[in-house]
Order: sequence, then structure tokens, then C-alpha cells
Amino acid sequence: MDILYLLIPLSAVLVLGLIGLFGWALHRGQFDDLQREGERILDEGEAG
Amino acid sequence: MTLTAVAAAPDDLAVLDDPIEQQGSTRWETAPGGHRIAETSLVLGGMHCAACAGIIEAALAGVPGVERAEVSAAGQRAQVRWDPALTRLSAVVEAIRGAGYEAVPDGAAPARELRQGERRTALWRLFVASFCAMQIMMFATPGYVARGDEMAADLRQLLNWGSWLLSMPVLLFSAGPFFQGAWRSLRQRRMGMDVPVALGIAVSFVASSGATFDPAGVFGHEVYFDSLAMFVSFLLGARFLEMLARHRAAESLESALAALPETAQRLVADGVVETVSLQRLRPGDRVLVPLGASFPADGRLELGATQVDESLLTGESLPVARQVGDEVVGGSVNLGAPVRVRVERVGADTRHGAIVSLMREALTQRPALVRRADAWAGPFLWVVLLLAAVAGAVWSWIDPSRAIGVAVAVLIVTCPCALSLAVPSAMVAAAGALARRGVMLQRLDALEALAGMRRLFIDKTGTLTEDQASWVGTRLIDAAGRSAADVVPPNQVAAAIALARSSSHPLARALADAAPATAATVDWRQVHEVAGQGLEARDGQGRLWRLGSWSWVRPASTWPAPVTELPCVWFGAEGSELILRFDFDERLRADAAEAVAALTDDGVAMTLLSGDQPQRAERLAARLGITDVRAGATPQSKLAAVAEAQAAGQPVGMVGDGVNDAPVLAQADVSLAMGRGAMVARLHADAVIVSNRLGDVVLARRLALRMGQVMRQNLAWAAAYNLACVPLALAGWLPPWAAGLGMACSSLLVVANSLRLARV
Repeated sequence: MDILYLLIPLSAVLVLGLIGLFGWALHRGQFDDLQREGERILDEGEAG
Repeated sequence: MTLTAVAAAPDDLAVLDDPIEQQGSTRWETAPGGHRIAETSLVLGGMHCAACAGIIEAALAGVPGVERAEVSAAGQRAQVRWDPALTRLSAVVEAIRGAGYEAVPDGAAPARELRQGERRTALWRLFVASFCAMQIMMFATPGYVARGDEMAADLRQLLNWGSWLLSMPVLLFSAGPFFQGAWRSLRQRRMGMDVPVALGIAVSFVASSGATFDPAGVFGHEVYFDSLAMFVSFLLGARFLEMLARHRAAESLESALAALPETAQRLVADGVVETVSLQRLRPGDRVLVPLGASFPADGRLELGATQVDESLLTGESLPVARQVGDEVVGGSVNLGAPVRVRVERVGADTRHGAIVSLMREALTQRPALVRRADAWAGPFLWVVLLLAAVAGAVWSWIDPSRAIGVAVAVLIVTCPCALSLAVPSAMVAAAGALARRGVMLQRLDALEALAGMRRLFIDKTGTLTEDQASWVGTRLIDAAGRSAADVVPPNQVAAAIALARSSSHPLARALADAAPATAATVDWRQVHEVAGQGLEARDGQGRLWRLGSWSWVRPASTWPAPVTELPCVWFGAEGSELILRFDFDERLRADAAEAVAALTDDGVAMTLLSGDQPQRAERLAARLGITDVRAGATPQSKLAAVAEAQAAGQPVGMVGDGVNDAPVLAQADVSLAMGRGAMVARLHADAVIVSNRLGDVVLARRLALRMGQVMRQNLAWAAAYNLACVPLALAGWLPPWAAGLGMACSSLLVVANSLRLARV
């Protein structure tokens, strides 16, 4: 069970990292218009 | 680059290139190369599917000088970056038109950017709080499921440290608005719900931190980090939904606001007409006002005679005649004939501008609405503080080492989670239900005022009545203008209706709309319309008939035009002795009588508040059973009537549509504007009845009453839950897991109860 002493701090750091990732995506405007982004994949003539 | 893109724009778009009109929608930046780049936001029309966004983006990409174009299908908006050296805004709009869509500059762009920022921040706070709450709950679970000494003390300590670390962002960032709100209320010396909320959060955190770092200290060894994080994320979730409802209302209003900039046709010295932005008009300018357009500013008629529709400005229901030298009011509509006007006052000096400034003043004097939750906050806080103090005092006598721990436990279990969700959750659910019915709430608090409303002031023209007049009767008239007979020849009536179809004059439209489009009984030839006079045409036998004003139908008559109470139109053949008179009257909205009766039944006193002439207002009030009538009212006297009722202690509501109603809408405790009404009225009303049904006022009030009931149930439940927990905490029998579970369950119960309102 000694591994828990490593995993618990690691999980806290991981959560903070994920929050940072979400914040980056949010402030780049990726959640401003969810509908358009979802439908972009159906557009013709757009690469990617 | 070619110059073709910078060629002259079509007439109606040229005004887009005027810098004065670009202020609201366009932002200027300086690119690294030193030249200026414009970024304009446009409101799009005609989009019906997501693929349209791609088509418009492609069309914009084809305009030389457009650097980047982003189209949002959901928001029906485009963001375009363009180089003013290579293209113009009118060319950008023309490219969108060429693709088959409509585009107008978005004057509300700054407001929307502000909203977007607000939304991002709220979502960010909510995410941080809920994500941390999830992980804190993970850390808390072992403590709940482990029995006795199953878990090592140092492992428990490590989990508590982890919880403490993840609580920091929740406390310092996510809970920020609650602390700010509490600080604001304390500084203004009034109590709001934020004060007990902030106190609960702060006490939980301090006590749990004490327990984490000094388990043997005064705060005991229980930690409440999971309750704290869950509490903050629940509250933020409710606030986020509340904000979305508010934004939705604002957006629907802004899309109605978007239009091409208003222009005026100004006469330049040598007789040339130029189209200019309204903001460029100056007193002394001469402008041409075409038929059907609105007057750009206050002024005097210089050439031509006409009728004008001033209903939005004065409440006068029928068109009024204006001759050379008469004053015309900016914002009224020219119905009779094209005229030339000399501008006397522009902008804020016009009658329209004066009404708008009166409205601004009324807004600042409006009685403050006390939110029900805030009314509960004060007593609640004092009771909780008192209980905690009593608990601490009692325990310091029994067992001084546990005194602080028990006092803190009391403060934590009474943390008003359900109490602070009780009101916003009911409001959001009710606002959503109303939005689906076509009533957009701009201020959610307005529902509470609507439920408490005792007197409703209602405007006549455009609110109780429809915009268009309706044909109410026909008479046969002799040469002197006296009534000759009540029996009218039906074939002549049919012939007049057939002739009326070829005109766009409002009274002709009303006549044509009254009868179904049957096969034309008369084959009219050489139909000819003289603006401000009427129509003339020849029948199959070549006889000349005229439809229009008295002097038009009876040009040779020595009798003056007969005085009639209602507006009318004459119809007769050249040289005939008898002619027909068609009478018109205002048309009530289909559900007006029903709505007035329902409101009276519900115990709301009704007052008709009209700027129209007294006999017309009184006749209509009698038809609807309204006894209290204030006719001939100016915006000032309307405002005085409402303030008088408010001074008598009656919560007052107002339903209106015109510019002249705007000050009253701002002053009333709760105000509703018709969806077809003037922009200024819609902008400042608490709710806009987009459906234009008066029945929705009744519906909204009944829903508001039900909302009041649900709110009372929620508050009672939350208070009962808190009170039940207090004795347990006082006895020291309430473990943190039970407190957290109870808090979550009572919050969910409150939300589920509120959701009942979403069904209308």
C-alpha cells in the first residue's frame, strides 16, 4: 500500500494539470459556439 | 490589387462606409506593417442550416482585402477582418448578399463581447469548482468507508492535505463572487443572501484547515472540504443557468434591433439628393421624406401635404393631417404623400430624444425591488449566529475543549445551500417556461413583482388594439354630406373593395383585407393614384369613379367636408348624386377582452392609460369593461399617474408598446412591452411579449404566482432542514458525511421542486 503515498499527491497534481488544460481551451474560445464546431466536420472543402 | 473592389457601392449600402456608422460594429487595429485593419461584426439573415455558414465564409474569402472571416451558425453572426486600403464594408456586405443572404452591421457587438467574457468567466469558475469537488470527494470517500483503525493515521492525514490543496482554487477563485457580494452588502449596510453563504464557506474552510493541520486542536479532527466544494459548485451552477437565461433574452432582443443604419435623403444646394446617415443631419437641412418612410427628425413641412401616423409617439390612434408649415415629429410615419421637410431639431433635442431622457430619469427613480431571498437572509443569519453562540456557551460549561468545535459544526450544517438555491432555481425554471411561450424576460426579478402587482396600467393604441384600423360600416350619403340611407348597394361596395386592392394606403388596405379576394366584380381600367387624395379609375362603360377623401370624390362640391368622428373614405362616380361612405375604427386584439376579464377576475385593478382622444379611449374601455380611464395623456402625465399609484402603496404593472410609454415602462414596478412596439420601449421593459398575445400577460402573472408558491415551499423546506440539523449538531451527533449528504439531498429536492414550473 506504500504506492498510495505517491499516487495521492500525483492525483492532486493531475487534477490541477487538467484544470489548466481546460482553462487554456476555454480562454481560446473553444466553448463559445459548440454547435458550429460540431457541424464543421460535415462541411465540404475544409481541410482537417 | 485591382480597384474594382473599391468601386462605388449601391445606394442603400453606401451609408455603411460612413465612419460615423461604423463606430458601433467595427474595431480598428494597426497591423505590424503599419497599415490599419478593421474587424467588423455583422448580423446575418436568411441562414437556415449549418452549411450556410460555410457558404458565407467561402463568399467572404473571395472578396479581395478580406483577411479572415468567421461565421457562427448558432449566433447568426459573422466576424470579418478586412483591409480598408483594399476594400470597403459595403463590398463585404454585398458579397454576402451575392451569396443569397442578408447582412447588417451589429451595433450591439460591444455588449455581446462583454457577455462572452462574462460567460467564459462563469464557466471557468464552475468548472474549477466542480472538478475540484469531484476529486475532493474521491479523497473523502476512504474516510467514510473505513471502519475503526482500518486506515493508517498518516494516510488519513495525506488525504486531508490533498483535499486542502484542491480546496484552495475553489475558495480563492470559484467562491470569489460570493465573498465580493457579501463585502458589497456589508459596506452598503444591507443584508443579502451572499453574507450567510460567504460566512458558511469561510467557517467550513477555517475549521477544516484547523482539523487538517492540528487534529488535536480546538476545531476537532472532522474535515468538511467535500461539503464546501460541492456547495460552491451547486451555487455556481445555479448562477450559470441564471446568467444563460438573461443572455438569451438579451440576444433575442438584439437580433430584433439589428437593421441597416437609418438614412435620410438630404437636398443639396443645387437640387441634388444625397443619402446620408441620420447622424449627419443638422438643423436647417432640407430632406425629402418618401411615402411610407419615417421622418428623420423634428421639422416643418415645406412642400406638400400629407397624413402622418404618430401612434408610437403620442398614442393618437388615427393618422393626422399635416399641411405646409405644420410641425412633424421625428419617428412618425409619412402615410399620405412624399413631402419636403426643413429639419429644426435633431438627435437629443427632438421629441423622441426628450421622451428617451424622461425614461432614463424614471429608471433611476424606480422603487427598488426587494428580493425574497434577501429578505430572508438577515433574520436567518442572526438566528444562526445566535444558535452557534448559545451552543458554544453551553458547551464551554459542559466541556470547554469541545465548545468551538460544536459552534463551528452548527455554522456549517446551517450553511444555506438549499436556501440560496430556492429562489434562483424557481426563477430560471419559470423564465424558461415563459420564453417557450414567447415572453422574453429581461430581468428575472420581474416575476416576483408581477406576482405582487395590484394595478395594471395598459396602453390602448398598439397594445389593446392592433396596428391597423378595420372597416366597421358603410353609408349612402347625399350631395350635402347627409346620410341618405342605411341600405347600400352591395355591388358598389364590392367595386370599391376591388379598387382599394390597388393601393397601399392603410385605409385602402383595411378595406381590401375585410373582404375575401373574390373574383373582381368590376374590371377597372386606367387605375391611377394621387398621393394624399385617393384613387381614380374607369369602369367597363368608361365612367370615372373615385375613392378617397371628400374633396377628391366631390371636387366640385360647395359643401365643406362633413365632420366625422371616425376616419372615413368616400367612393362615388363622377356626377352621381349619391356616394358611399366607408367608416373605419380601431380593431381590438383578438384576445384583449378575454385577457382583461381574466386579469380583473384575478383581482388586478385595470387602468386604461392612453394618449388618444378621450371619447375614443372611453368607448374602447366601455367595450372591455375597464372603468378607470386616463385619456389624452402625455408621457409626463402618464408617468405622474403611475407614480401616484405607487405613492399610494400599490405595486404597479404597465403594458405598452410606444415610445410615449417608455418612461412609464421604466417607472413601473414591472413592465411588459409588446413585441411589435417601439425599440426604446422593448429595450427597457422587464419582459417583451414577442408573441403579441395579451393572453400571455395573464399567463405570465399566473405563472409568477405559482412561482411564488414554489419559492415559499423551497424556502420553508430549506429552513426546516437547517433547523432539524441544528439540534443534532448541538448534541455533537452530526458527522460530516451526514451533513454533506443532507445538504446535497435538500439542494436536489429544491431544484426538482422548481423544475415543476418548467411545465406550463
